[in-house]
Amino acid sequence: MEKTFDFEQVGKRMPYDVPNDFFDKFEENMMVEVKSRRSKKPLRIALSSILAVAAAIALFFVMQPLLPKSNVDDFESVELAFNNLSTDDQDFLIQVYEDEDILMNDFEFNL
Amino acid sequence: MTPNDKDIIYTMRKDAERGFRLLMKSYKEPLYWHIRRLVVNHDDAQDAAQEAFIRIFRSFGQYNEQNSLRAWLFRIVTNEALRLIERRRADTMPIDGVFDAQADSYINYSDLEAVRLQKAILSLPPKQQLAFNLRYYDEMDYDEIAQIADTTAASVKASYYVAKEKIIKFMTSND
Repeated sequence: MEKTFDFEQVGKRMPYDVPNDFFDKFEENMMVEVKSRRSKKPLRIALSSILAVAAAIALFFVMQPLLPKSNVDDFESVELAFNNLSTDDQDFLIQVYEDEDILMNDFEFNL
Repeated sequence: MTPNDKDIIYTMRKDAERGFRLLMKSYKEPLYWHIRRLVVNHDDAQDAAQEAFIRIFRSFGQYNEQNSLRAWLFRIVTNEALRLIERRRADTMPIDGVFDAQADSYINYSDLEAVRLQKAILSLPPKQQLAFNLRYYDEMDYDEIAQIADTTAASVKASYYVAKEKIIKFMTSND
């Protein structure tokens, strides 16, 4: 007679187990993780804004020799690009560059 | 869509942290056990579950309410579990070898029938494994499983019946 297997013999029983209070601790850890990620979000946005602006400026200087010569002064173009940013982005950039002491105004000339 | 799922979606949209707490309450256990059946080892299942829940929280804005929330969640955790299995395969540890490695203190090796059934399931190709687990343990209908496996209900039904036959054959063999 052909042997057969009855799934009812095992049902949904599994040989797996978890540590004590695993699910409660897991839930708490996930909530802490989610909260910390949410608090880091503005920083990530700020960093991506910096990177985007820095990339745009770098691209401008790299591409400039390839572009047809114009009468517009370099600084005027940068100023124009800067003026096109939102007030928040302008303030943010100023703050970043001030913090890093790289604005021309902050240079000390030791001649 | 269950009333509970509607509540979770509404709260997630209004207050993400509170909504996520509701989601965790309802789904942490079924999602963990689904991953565990695929990856076997507790530590791996915990890692994959953590990654999957972070992904769920971050991408909840992309969830389309026309589809089942349960299917969307199971799809994310399934992908995370399969990613982990792929990584493990690269480390040359076959998934059905985890039992024999005896590295997990959270497996009850004394329940011989249950261990044998899991070994039978793990010997199946991923598509059949998925169809069998979601139907047998989570009691999902074929349409919902099809959403998770990104296939048709007919294909899931075929996979489920083939899987069941293979499991019976495995369980009645003398090995």
